[in-house]
Amino acid sequence: MCLALFSGSLDKLTAAGVILSGAAADDMEVDIYVLLQAARAFKKEIATNRDELKLAENTHLRKEFIESLDKLNVKQWHEFFKEAKELTNVKIHICGLAGKIWGGEKLEDFIDLADDIVGIGEYITAAEEADIHLFI
Amino acid sequence: MEIKESINCKGLECPMPMIKLVKAIKGLNSGEILEMLGTDPGTKSDLKRWCDRTGHIILEINEAENGIFRFLIQKI
Repeated sequence: MCLALFSGSLDKLTAAGVILSGAAADDMEVDIYVLLQAARAFKKEIATNRDELKLAENTHLRKEFIESLDKLNVKQWHEFFKEAKELTNVKIHICGLAGKIWGGEKLEDFIDLADDIVGIGEYITAAEEADIHLFI
Repeated sequence: MEIKESINCKGLECPMPMIKLVKAIKGLNSGEILEMLGTDPGTKSDLKRWCDRTGHIILEINEAENGIFRFLIQKI
């Protein structure tokens, strides 16, 4: 599976995490390309701080959304990613340009789950070869 | 029929029961049996689909009136 992760919003990142978990349960190999807005969410100081992340839709219901997540014991979005990596071969690639836009030049600027910083060509090749390709 | 391990997924929402199941199955040897208790309705269809895909065998499915279901799964 190839996942182009563009969104840096809490709701879409959570959805991506749930889909990723399903793929990991099926032992799929997954390549995630972290593009523009998502690259900000993957920065070390942002990822674990939900206050920094907005909702993509129903933005006025952010508080209720978060309360529901917590009540249902839904994992935080980055915990889904971590768990999926433990289960199967998930590679997280940060788009070099996107990283720089948010002040992230080095791999260490992003959460430890990130594997490398790449150019867009790698994403195109992965998208071409994958059976499932998603843009979130 | 000896149950080697039991996992309690009651109250867990999708996708956590499946993740817990996959981890538990990984820790078993071929032929051993896992018991899974859960309440998330989506897991019932997910588990069947997952077993079809992976080849692990569902030996038993029981559903109690209070919405708790119980699966016995044998690792291939």
